[in-house]
Amino acid sequence: MTNRAGSRPQLEEKLTKFVPGQPDMWMFVLFESLLFTGYFSVYLVSRTQNEELYLQSQAALDLRFGVFNTIALLLSSWAIARCVQASREGAYRSALINAFLTVSFGVVFLTSKVLEWVNEIQMGNTFTSDEFFQHYFFLTSIHCIHVLIGFIGLGVVVYQLWSPVRRSQQLVETGATYWHTVDFLWVLIFALLYVVR
Amino acid sequence: MSLPKMKTTEPLTAPDPPAGSWVSRLAWNFRHHPKRELWFAWWVMVIFYQLYGVLFFFVTRVQPPPSPAWDTPTVTQWFSDRHLGILAGFGVVFLITGMCAPMNALLAYSMRRMSVSRLFAYSYLIIYSLSAIPGMLVMAIAMTVAALRPDRDPELIHWLYDFAFLSFSGTMGVFMIGSLVWMVAILLDKNCVFPKWFGYLSLCNALTEVVVAPAWIFHRGAFAWNGAIAWWINMVVFVTYTGVFIVLLRKMIQREDFGAGPLPDLPDKGVADHSDAAEAVR
Amino acid sequence: MSTTFNKRLLIVWLILTSMTLAYVWMDRAVDQNGTLKASTVVTVSAIAIALIKVRIIFREFMEVRHAPALLCRLTDAWVVLIAVCLLGSYFVGSALSG
Repeated sequence: MTNRAGSRPQLEEKLTKFVPGQPDMWMFVLFESLLFTGYFSVYLVSRTQNEELYLQSQAALDLRFGVFNTIALLLSSWAIARCVQASREGAYRSALINAFLTVSFGVVFLTSKVLEWVNEIQMGNTFTSDEFFQHYFFLTSIHCIHVLIGFIGLGVVVYQLWSPVRRSQQLVETGATYWHTVDFLWVLIFALLYVVR
Repeated sequence: MSLPKMKTTEPLTAPDPPAGSWVSRLAWNFRHHPKRELWFAWWVMVIFYQLYGVLFFFVTRVQPPPSPAWDTPTVTQWFSDRHLGILAGFGVVFLITGMCAPMNALLAYSMRRMSVSRLFAYSYLIIYSLSAIPGMLVMAIAMTVAALRPDRDPELIHWLYDFAFLSFSGTMGVFMIGSLVWMVAILLDKNCVFPKWFGYLSLCNALTEVVVAPAWIFHRGAFAWNGAIAWWINMVVFVTYTGVFIVLLRKMIQREDFGAGPLPDLPDKGVADHSDAAEAVR
Repeated sequence: MSTTFNKRLLIVWLILTSMTLAYVWMDRAVDQNGTLKASTVVTVSAIAIALIKVRIIFREFMEVRHAPALLCRLTDAWVVLIAVCLLGSYFVGSALSG
């Protein structure tokens, strides 16, 4: 593919319709997003019943943490998307580097999250302080559990990419699909906890 | 008609049941069908869950759970409204507790049929055998004790109320580990006993059980033992999960060939299987 | 490594990041003189922007663009479903408390 100008339409035609990763993982993605939507709906309804309290408590959150976290996860999603494409083209070294980048950004997210929690707790806002913080700690914790599981998924991806005898493209894509889910769930959580008034 | 000797390493095909009346076919299946124990366990599971639902939701009416925020007079009133239902309903629960055994055995069997270590099956059996105690029996005992003497000190009744519901809802951790054991087995399995999406659904189920943990802290709100998140959403996922695995276990039994390799898919509807004829009797 | 695909992913990331930064602007703009104020406009916009980002992640990062029509329609339907649930919860809740 040396001719860049003409290669793009050819590449796109070459990519016949395919389901990225195991279809099973997509079922999980859709189900889990419904589940989280349930949690979000409960949060939104509770919020409307007690607007003042939620507004006051929300002000204790630092938007900068939220933005930083979102960008970190977006970077990690970008890295794993690049990894999938590199792996598809056989550029396994590049794919591995991108996979490790994904893990690194994930760790950055996690570290920043823990710092934020410590910060909030030191200010006196804990899980049991009030309704808003119940939802805040709950949603961010359950999301973090998903991030930790995501690390296991990324571990599988790295394991696959490492040795030439494995390298199942489907498994790599499956792991990536899970990681993107973790990312878009955070996008929603960020909007609902930090921005929504 | 003599049955071939059952060797567990060779796939087995069921011999034909004799053509004849419904009764004679049922009798033949009862005595000779190679999968009769599996089907027995499956039916026990289905009946158990139906009974469990009816008993907990309609007879005793302890589910959906009442609020942990109630004061003592309200709780006492709640018990007296349900006096007979609780005693009768949980009396039946004590009788049918044993039905859990074939049910858990069938699930453990599914793990034995997988290509993974037998450790998974054994761990699952142990976990779930123990989990019935806090997960069902302790509640039943506490509730019947509370209902037995309506003139008991109301504070004691309230104490038993808390004890029952916290035990029932708060000990989800055990079930969660069980779900995870099954999930890992399914994901590692090379015999395709269950589809991978069911493994992921088990993960969803396990995670919603984590969500019940805050019930130990809150008296009201979404995270109390009757909360929108800790109970209602959790229950939707659990019921979905249970319905799905009942269907999948049925498929597993239909596909079972008593071999040790990958479980074959079901034959097409046009190609009638011998085992289908036997199924028709049930 | 084909750079055309590289560029596309980078552009997608830039768009997503700038949408994230738009939230900072929204956050500053909504509080008048430092007093906190509930705002339906902010809520609805925040949710809408989040869902647009989710759809972009579906289509670009998760490669739904190249998926069979069923998956495309399913993921789009999901975005709509989530929108309905979130906005519905917010408006029904507001109506109940108002």
